[in-house]
Amino acid sequence: MFFHIVLERNMQLHPRHFGRNLRENLVSKLMKDVEGTCSGRHGFVVAITGIENIGKGLIRDGTGFVTFPVKYQCVVFRPFKGEILEAVVTMVNKMGFFAEAGPVQIFVSNHLIPDDMEFQSGDVPNYTTSDGSVKIQKDSEVRLKIIGTRVDATEIFCIGTIKDDFLGVINDPSAA
Amino acid sequence: MSSTCPRRHSRAFPPILHRTLPLPSFFLRDSWFWIQDLEDVSLLSSRLEFFADVVRWFWIKPRIGGFDPRLLKNKKINCLLFSSTLSLVRVMSLATNSPAHSSSSDDFAAFLAVDLDSHSSDSSPDEETEGDNNAESVRIKRRKVEKLENSEEDIMHEVEEQSLEVLSKQQLCSHPGSFGNMCIICGQRLDEESGVTFGYIHKELRLNNDEINRMRNKEMKELLQRKKLILVLDLDHTLLNSTELRYLTVEEEYLRSQTDSLDDVTKGSLFLLNSVHTMTKLRPFVHSFLKEASKLFEMYIYTMGERRYAFEMAKLLDPKKEYFSSKVISRDDGTQKHQKGLDVVLGKESAVLILDDTENAWTKHKENLILMERYHFFASSCRQFGFNCKSLSELKNDESETDGALTTILKVLKQVHHMFFNEVSGDLVDRDVRQVLKTVRAEVLEGCKVVFSRVFPTKFQAENHQLWKMVEQLGGTCSTELDQSVTHVVATDAGTEKSRWALKEKKFLVHPRWIEASNYFWKRQMEENFTVEQTKVEQTKKQ
Ligand SMILES: [Zn+2]
Repeated sequence: MFFHIVLERNMQLHPRHFGRNLRENLVSKLMKDVEGTCSGRHGFVVAITGIENIGKGLIRDGTGFVTFPVKYQCVVFRPFKGEILEAVVTMVNKMGFFAEAGPVQIFVSNHLIPDDMEFQSGDVPNYTTSDGSVKIQKDSEVRLKIIGTRVDATEIFCIGTIKDDFLGVINDPSAA
Repeated sequence: MSSTCPRRHSRAFPPILHRTLPLPSFFLRDSWFWIQDLEDVSLLSSRLEFFADVVRWFWIKPRIGGFDPRLLKNKKINCLLFSSTLSLVRVMSLATNSPAHSSSSDDFAAFLAVDLDSHSSDSSPDEETEGDNNAESVRIKRRKVEKLENSEEDIMHEVEEQSLEVLSKQQLCSHPGSFGNMCIICGQRLDEESGVTFGYIHKELRLNNDEINRMRNKEMKELLQRKKLILVLDLDHTLLNSTELRYLTVEEEYLRSQTDSLDDVTKGSLFLLNSVHTMTKLRPFVHSFLKEASKLFEMYIYTMGERRYAFEMAKLLDPKKEYFSSKVISRDDGTQKHQKGLDVVLGKESAVLILDDTENAWTKHKENLILMERYHFFASSCRQFGFNCKSLSELKNDESETDGALTTILKVLKQVHHMFFNEVSGDLVDRDVRQVLKTVRAEVLEGCKVVFSRVFPTKFQAENHQLWKMVEQLGGTCSTELDQSVTHVVATDAGTEKSRWALKEKKFLVHPRWIEASNYFWKRQMEENFTVEQTKVEQTKKQ
């Protein structure tokens, strides 16, 4: 799920960045530091959308670095149990398949793939229905439901299922 | 783009669905997934914005470019509502005609209420009796929307609580494996780390023994139906030889100018891989070998090398990922140090053959092993194994393409495969490739009766010596007594008593290497190529 939230961060800036462009420098450093990182609490920071306010700088003893408290708006992504996600299949094997939605790595075990889909090994391993009408292989886009999540400092892992109504393939790369 | 999104969904979900499915009463609780026209962000003062599908769209289609929501601010995007239970509930357009009031959560609730009403009036008579429920759900919704006003932290917390409810229903799961320490079936967090890690598939994937067995049995049935067995291949000295660049000798420097292009690796055999500081020479015949073997076997790479190295080598051997996709096992993936085990290979031991040059790596699976003659191309490789001779590279020579080790072994593999499927009786599942391998091996020295002369240390129990056992495995018999039934005397010195007896009686007198070579080549070798010289020590003694 995506949230647009306000977060705060203390930014340390070297004095050489002071001057007319102080604000710009702060913001670009903030983007570099924050976008694309994860926190267990908020999830993955997709993008900073605005700066709410930049507090007064405090000079740190002995260094000359100045710390600014910055409040910023950002879009974060955090998966939840029960959430429906669309994801791209990255790897298919007999244990199930792996998929990615942005920074999230999802595993769908063969237990959670509908029983009428069978694993087919070969050059392009895939899960296929007996009539061959639906096929999941690398690069397929699937809609799945999250049933477990773990958000680490740098990675997000999820367990997914497609064993439910309206879940499954939404596009087939081989048909394109 | 606004048109692309919905169209994409409607292909998988016929539009009719959106009309006929009533919104479930718990719809809001599960359905904070939407997009709205970003111009109307202020309409929903809650900072919960509707980026979901837009961002997904960008993640799914990275070729369009990275996602930057700031770029979307002026675009009109259709609104998608999702419910986790019903997946896609309906697609609608919120866009321009939404009244842009300032206080938003009320509007939002009202919008949802209107939407619900219109929906229930569309629905069948059956559902109209549930009107009360719908009213109730609108109330719930209002409450929820008010909650949206609270901080996002609360929302996150609440969602978490709801997921705990779901979880409590699933206490009966046996947790057969885990991904990221979560059960692969119920998603529950598992505290203790148990089972075998399948790091070669994903570093976070673990399976318990029961699950591995279940997978194995399922896999075996399917494999045997396709008339395939499993082949586990070692890399170094079996399929190829590598050297660190800094160990190239002066005489090998010429190789640097002879390396093949990495653009089409199937056309070359000598590669310079700067990323792993390595020069690699593929064993002659290896491409044809893999192609042929892949028709009969499901193949794994199993190396004591590091994962990065293993992947680089897999790229050279299998650039199209036809043979080894997610079947490259490296040192980091094994379950025991300095040992290779079949526990991470998803096949029954009775259907696995192993090609490796190091017998000691497979102490538990010797019966599955086809021992390979080591391929030493580089000088550093020779030195590592204590040979002082010139390497193939220094001699500007190589193994034979048509007659080398891989060519020989491919024939053996084909023979074993053929016998397994065509000559052994009984159910396929009950057949054992180890027995077949034994049978094939026992034909090599069939009819030979061997006597050893001063090959073993005097106090050594002859029956326990590796060569003695090897002869027996190859179908020959061994003896300590000389009589007319003896066919071969094995010695390193032609001057011994038994050697002289052999010459007198016109029996074969061969060097111990004859046995080793027959073992490697799966064929009784020409005795003339393994003659025995008299050593000088013996000669001087006699004089
Ligand atoms: Zn479980």
